[in-house]
Amino acid sequence: MRIPDRNTRIAITGAGVICSIGRNKAEVWQAITESRSAIGKLTRFPGETFPTELAAEVEEHLDALLPAGRRERKRLSRSDKLAVIAAGEALAEAGLPALDGTVVSTGSSTGGLVEGEEYFFARVMRGTDRAPVSRVLQQPTSGPSDAVAKVFGVGGGVLSNATACASAGAAIGVAADMLRSRHADAAIAGGSDALCRLTYSGFNVLQAVDAQPCAPFAARRNGITLGEGAAYLVLERWDEATARGARILAELCGYGATCDAHHQTAPHEDGRGAEAAMRGALFEAAVESHSVDYVNAHGTGTLLNDSAETKAIAAALGTGVPVSSSKSYFGHTLGASGAVEAVITVLSIQHQIAPPTLRLDVPAFDCVLDYIPLTPRPMRIRHALSNTFGFGGSNVSLLLRQA
Amino acid sequence: MSRIPITGMGVIAPGAIGAASFGGLLESGRTAAAPVERFSTAGCRAHTAALVRDFQPREFIAPMKLRRMNTLSRYAVAAARLAADDAGSRLPSAAGVSFGTCFGPVQTSVEYMREYVEKGAALAPPQLFAESVANAPGSHVAIEFDLRGFNITFTQRESSAMAALMGAASQIAKGAVPSAIAGGVEEINDVVFGVLDAVGALAHSEDGLEECARPFDRRRNGMVIGEGGMALLLDSAPKRTPYAYVAGFGLARDTTATISDWGNGAAAVARAMRSAIEDAELVPADIDAIYASANGTRRCDRLEGLAIQSFFPDPPPVVATKAVFGEYAAGGALQIAAAVLALRDQKLHPSVGFSDPDEEFRFMPTRALVPRVLRNVVVSSISAGGGIITAVLSRDPE
Repeated sequence: MRIPDRNTRIAITGAGVICSIGRNKAEVWQAITESRSAIGKLTRFPGETFPTELAAEVEEHLDALLPAGRRERKRLSRSDKLAVIAAGEALAEAGLPALDGTVVSTGSSTGGLVEGEEYFFARVMRGTDRAPVSRVLQQPTSGPSDAVAKVFGVGGGVLSNATACASAGAAIGVAADMLRSRHADAAIAGGSDALCRLTYSGFNVLQAVDAQPCAPFAARRNGITLGEGAAYLVLERWDEATARGARILAELCGYGATCDAHHQTAPHEDGRGAEAAMRGALFEAAVESHSVDYVNAHGTGTLLNDSAETKAIAAALGTGVPVSSSKSYFGHTLGASGAVEAVITVLSIQHQIAPPTLRLDVPAFDCVLDYIPLTPRPMRIRHALSNTFGFGGSNVSLLLRQA
Repeated sequence: MSRIPITGMGVIAPGAIGAASFGGLLESGRTAAAPVERFSTAGCRAHTAALVRDFQPREFIAPMKLRRMNTLSRYAVAAARLAADDAGSRLPSAAGVSFGTCFGPVQTSVEYMREYVEKGAALAPPQLFAESVANAPGSHVAIEFDLRGFNITFTQRESSAMAALMGAASQIAKGAVPSAIAGGVEEINDVVFGVLDAVGALAHSEDGLEECARPFDRRRNGMVIGEGGMALLLDSAPKRTPYAYVAGFGLARDTTATISDWGNGAAAVARAMRSAIEDAELVPADIDAIYASANGTRRCDRLEGLAIQSFFPDPPPVVATKAVFGEYAAGGALQIAAAVLALRDQKLHPSVGFSDPDEEFRFMPTRALVPRVLRNVVVSSISAGGGIITAVLSRDPE
């Protein structure tokens, strides 16, 4: 089999995003520069009672944004719809001449579980055999990838992974390797996750949800804010992108994937897997640790993550590198977070502005890095890392470079 | 070019625990499908499935750890244990892990939902939530064997395990890890069975014919579904003679497929076969057998059959194994395991369920166990929704 060639450069020629702070890149970046987060009362599940009540929801009526016909729309889950909207923006920007050899690679932790829940509730609570089968058919986590491939007529292949909150980062890394080994000509790679009851309840029973909007790296941090969204990047081999005159937004030059091999839900306290993932991304790109100008952190706002990630960054890159958590704007978009935050990182490189960590008034005593508090920071960003970690100790770090 | 050695195999299959027992099942010409006793199938048209029965997780996993694992995680850890023991080598901590699963932790989600309804959203058990992510099995394997390389769980429907194999082989080829556990897990419960029955996907008795998956057969009317776990040990520096080598992959997508069914784009299936054979630096005449994706549904088998005969002017022997252990079995990994055993043992397995040829097909699936010189085998995986992944597995290192 052909070996993924580390010398094959990967160009990012399109990017799309939808999350609580905006329906597309322009809206999202405007909110970022205005330090405007979008976290409010959970409205998606009326009648349900949870110990906390905040979420970063996508409020828009999604159907109006969908580039799909009514018949097709009916078959799509909410995660599928978010994926199609974000992928549509990325594809429009890239303007790929054909999609015959393009693969879709999507990470989604829960897929259409919110639709599946309607089926479970009908069966469990009402004990009815006439539960809505059409809804549970939308549940597989392959749904977003299959939906993007179907709506845009992608012919090169379709891949999905469900690696908890590291899903989208893994999807992007896997896609880059497929381009490097020439198993695909181009890729639409990203992630999508809609809020569902199981996730909302589950993080609450783990006592991992902050009753206030999440405050990553802050002394008062007390957990995550759950969000939802989707984002995609269009990836091409650099030489082919330049040959067709594509506008290159940034380069994806390194992908590191590791596992803590430590605990089902908690990170290793020293962040050993996270550190190894960052080192892996740097090694792949042959970039020195001191060349990293900015880290878009996983930064969930939990006591454990922010402490472990701080240690990992300090060990891999030193304590001087500027770091921030975009989750302070739009919460933790779970399986989509790796892609949403990769898009934010691409925008940061394009605009040469690092987004801040909102609500970071007083850093925690064990959070000792430069977290870019409260307001965006114009700065030179040549190389940036985007971190994404998940349950089961899976870690992915992507290294992005200015085009 | 690089071929990735397969040095160990662990199988938790319907009707077979361990690779030797699984090989015996494949050679016997029997199906592991049986009437379902785990849950009621009243009101369904179908009543059989290939379910794991004689699995004793305590033989593989310490009791204190067992409590933290759902069925999928137990399958994964047991299969990985068997694969590592089989290879006779300790896994290095730099090794990676990739599993595939189609439905993932559906049963755990159902159990969580039941607690959620009964006790409230704040009081459901946290341990069930921790196990409700599809990558829990892969992470338990990482914890059990201290494996700190990549850990990714692919969920591409029927092709999930094939995607996992490709993902793992790619990371070894790149040099990111020296070795990896690659496989799949699946669990069948009443929800999965009921939904597939409701949409008419399952084989059922009809016109006096007993309920059975009949791949490529004229009378086929649906699939039988299966479960279980399977793990292969891929090792770039093998300490024993490998069973076989991962030689190439090809991907494509059938753009005629709807989001949840098979389409009719045979050209796309043929394109994936061509890509995989080229990736293995072979030509079609080098292919000695095809381990087919055919599952006994009208559409999937027709799509694949037409692709095989359009791509191979004179098709090599075609082996359809899914009537033995079911579609989805071990996330699709048992089909891969069958092809690996064929290469190791130099035998083609019988295509259980096939007896009455469909005049549309110009090739004849195997009817009995056939000793044969096998150098290169195509493993074809076509998923509902149009995803296609084809692999070439080879006997020789180059």
